[in-house]
Amino acid sequence: MLSKKISTVAVACAIFGGLTLSQVANAHPRWIMPSHFAISKEGGDWLTFDVTASHGTFVLDKPAGAENARIVMPDGRQERPDAVLRGKRRSVFDFHFTEEGTHRVQVTNSPSYVTHYKAGKRDTQKRLRASKVERIALLPEGAREVSSTLNYTRAETYITVGKPSEKPFPLEGTYLELLPETNPADIVATEPVRFQLFFNGKPQVGVKAEITRDGTLYRNQQEQIDVVTDEQGFIEFTPEVAGRYLLKATHQAPIADNPLADNMNVSVHLTFEAVLP
Amino acid sequence: MKFTSVLSVLSVLFFLSNGVNAKTIPEQAVMDIEFTIPKVEASIYARPYVAIWIEDKQRQPVRTIQLWVGEDEWLKDLRSWWRKVGRNDRTVVDAVTSATRPIGQYRFAWDGLDQKGKRVEQGDYTFYVEVVREHGGRNYLRQKIQLAEQDFKLTLQPTEETGLINLHYHIQ
Repeated sequence: MLSKKISTVAVACAIFGGLTLSQVANAHPRWIMPSHFAISKEGGDWLTFDVTASHGTFVLDKPAGAENARIVMPDGRQERPDAVLRGKRRSVFDFHFTEEGTHRVQVTNSPSYVTHYKAGKRDTQKRLRASKVERIALLPEGAREVSSTLNYTRAETYITVGKPSEKPFPLEGTYLELLPETNPADIVATEPVRFQLFFNGKPQVGVKAEITRDGTLYRNQQEQIDVVTDEQGFIEFTPEVAGRYLLKATHQAPIADNPLADNMNVSVHLTFEAVLP
Repeated sequence: MKFTSVLSVLSVLFFLSNGVNAKTIPEQAVMDIEFTIPKVEASIYARPYVAIWIEDKQRQPVRTIQLWVGEDEWLKDLRSWWRKVGRNDRTVVDAVTSATRPIGQYRFAWDGLDQKGKRVEQGDYTFYVEVVREHGGRNYLRQKIQLAEQDFKLTLQPTEETGLINLHYHIQ
């Protein structure tokens, strides 16, 4: 009886959810959570990381893979995690940090493609996991308003061993990237933070970012901070409360002359902590 | 990079404007510190981590007077001290770190020298205390002090993790 009720509700949710589904931002945001952000132990220490994708901030949900996790060392070279586990609702990886300075830890998969279209008498919005090439074989007859989107998310966080590095990491020059002008090791509650966002290697104006503090399950409002990049790609905000935060920056743009997609939806999901003042 | 170069420019300017008149505190000047680790009723009690240090008017660390931690893995739990002092200079850690202490009263003194052993200039400073206890709380205390040719006595009221703290700056 109960399960029947639940499944009816689930179907209703799926239908209404489907109807109101926006063209983008329907995937579960993927993020990384480190066990610690700073290491003071002489000679370094082990840290462990959770990787998952979820609609709740820092709520473990889907088992996003961690096999692609990379640790960008203070000198810029990349290392693989020492151990990776895949669970049912999260992946885990461990890494032994030994070098002094700021490390970037990232999980970036290859781009994924989604095709949206309308079909049927009632113009039902539908989607396919397919690129422009793959969709040819999959689209039903009479599909309208067809558009394929490239999705790419950099899920990242920063770990500092001892003294933070002063030199920023070089840009890769692809999709959306974030350079922390404020080193994440220096983020203190009540003090302003400045980050710069780049699209295909150039500072990008108009990128929207939302910054949400841990613990949304236990408060009524998201209390997120909304910011938009200025002409030079900068955002500035002040975390008022100490805690762990997830920054989600997203940029959407049409792409011309691409064999696989008509537009792209690219994101950076940065996990950071604001320490007590 | 940018930040540090601005700082160094500032300190050069500071030196140029004040360097000539800069007067150090008297040679005999000492600050006696009485410090108390209070009795706390707790099901799991661990000795607290303690950092006591001085910063100058520009909020730059001048001297770490006491550092009671034990293992360096836990240095980072003294959040403010680690961020402002410890992580930037490993030699400070090696120079001052010592074991954690039990509940009780302690007395020590600051000789008015900075971390490099140089007598500090007269002026405004801030006295900091950070105490963190596992399974317990954290207290972070700040007290502005003026180091010159005048003696002073100050008392910092008890908090959850600190007992009475008395400062006595005097020219012997």
